[in-house]
Amino acid sequence: MTKRIIMHIDVNSAYLSWEAAYRLQQGSSLDLRTIPSAVGGNPETRHGIILAKSIPAKKYKIQTGEALFAARLKCPHLVIVPPNYTLYRQCSQALKVVLENYSPLIQQYSIDEFFLDYTGMEKVLGDPLSKAYEIKERIKNELGFTVNIGISCNKLLAKMGSELEKPDKVHTLFPEEIPVKMWPLPVEELFGVGRATSRKLRDRGIRTIGEIAAQEPGYLKRFLKNYGILLWNYANGREDSPVRLSGTIPIKGLGNSTTIPFDVEDQRTAHLVLLSLAETVGMRLRQANLCAGLVAVSLKTNEFLCFSHQRKLYLPTDCTSAIHQVACELFDELWQGEPIRHLGLRVAELCSSDFFQSSLFEKDTEKQRRLDKAVDAIRLRYGSHAVFRSVFLHSGLKALSGGVLESEEYPMMSSIL
Amino acid sequence: MKVYMQPIESIVWFTKEGIPHPIRFRIQAEDQTYRVIKVSRIITRQEEKVAGNRMLIFRCQSEINGLLRVFELKYEINTCKWYLYKI
Repeated sequence: MTKRIIMHIDVNSAYLSWEAAYRLQQGSSLDLRTIPSAVGGNPETRHGIILAKSIPAKKYKIQTGEALFAARLKCPHLVIVPPNYTLYRQCSQALKVVLENYSPLIQQYSIDEFFLDYTGMEKVLGDPLSKAYEIKERIKNELGFTVNIGISCNKLLAKMGSELEKPDKVHTLFPEEIPVKMWPLPVEELFGVGRATSRKLRDRGIRTIGEIAAQEPGYLKRFLKNYGILLWNYANGREDSPVRLSGTIPIKGLGNSTTIPFDVEDQRTAHLVLLSLAETVGMRLRQANLCAGLVAVSLKTNEFLCFSHQRKLYLPTDCTSAIHQVACELFDELWQGEPIRHLGLRVAELCSSDFFQSSLFEKDTEKQRRLDKAVDAIRLRYGSHAVFRSVFLHSGLKALSGGVLESEEYPMMSSIL
Repeated sequence: MKVYMQPIESIVWFTKEGIPHPIRFRIQAEDQTYRVIKVSRIITRQEEKVAGNRMLIFRCQSEINGLLRVFELKYEINTCKWYLYKI
């Protein structure tokens, strides 16, 4: 088989670049990318964290995920703009349209990352490196934001390559370049090494990616289990997942969560929040033609302590009410009366909703399913708030919660290449 | 030319192919009075897709206050809004 050529296209400080490009187009004279600036949530609804930052803001050691308050302490003149997910969605879509000119096989990996399989395209379009430069320039000129492109023979190396030096750069990271370009980097830079794994590695004196690669795989396996072998392969640049078209990774679980603008202190309000989450989860579940066999509830208290609880169902279901009922039971068992900041609802053990084993001893859900189907159809046609449950009237809560865009799937980060 | 990006009211004709041709527009001055400007000539038309937001930019020419001025109009396809972009 011929050697694969994979490109990884990554937008530099995506949310911020997109906002900056949009503002310039709308006639603003200021480019947010040239000053210390950040995209941050609304502190009043307690979503006040930094979502993306400009490169000048990076110099003040402002980190993604930290509180706006902490960021302002580091840099008092930091310009903070609110997020606009519809815009991000639109930018991501425009980027995809450009990339589609260069290969038929493109995988959207997250809102701002794409994999492009260039294998075989060199016969039509020519040298991948010069094409990558062309793609980069074209995106900059047409869409007004900069990207990093990594080129290699697999997705992992392409992704590692695009993260080498930013912004507006093309990097190659072919296997023969690994010792020079990848091995000297700290372990945290390796895809799949997060806080927990990095600590385990550093405790054992493994500080660079090269040192992972040099380890005996059996040694890594002893403390990281099979994940150790995977990391050892990654550190050596071995990875062979295909560039997948969207929707080809089977869904294993599905959930939504929300940070509530105020602390919830009574059971009724908590149940209402769970209902609004169940509405979203149920809708997504039915859209994917799936039924869930397990429901899980998680909560975070005002002191940032997290708890969770889950239960298997006797009968798989996709009904909003059924999911909500189980969620409430779980919540009542879980909750000790602390003020609640964040609630989450997740379903798993999914099976197809076309055929499933029914039970004589459970309630007949046929009527409920017909109702859900009608509600979904109304919401699809007239908007997600066209019809909602009357308990939400004057409750100060949203009838549907969780997710960043209503009635639309928004590509989030994934750990599966 | 300087960037203004002021929203304007406009009269436009569209071809069968869907290409807009601005005929005249009016702009509200700071003293709330309207000023009507007739587009005498469209010099160029180009599409812009910055941030995935499609806009058409028209470079036009008109007589304004006795002077032949070149200016740019912008049409935001998504919202159907017209702007006086640069003058």
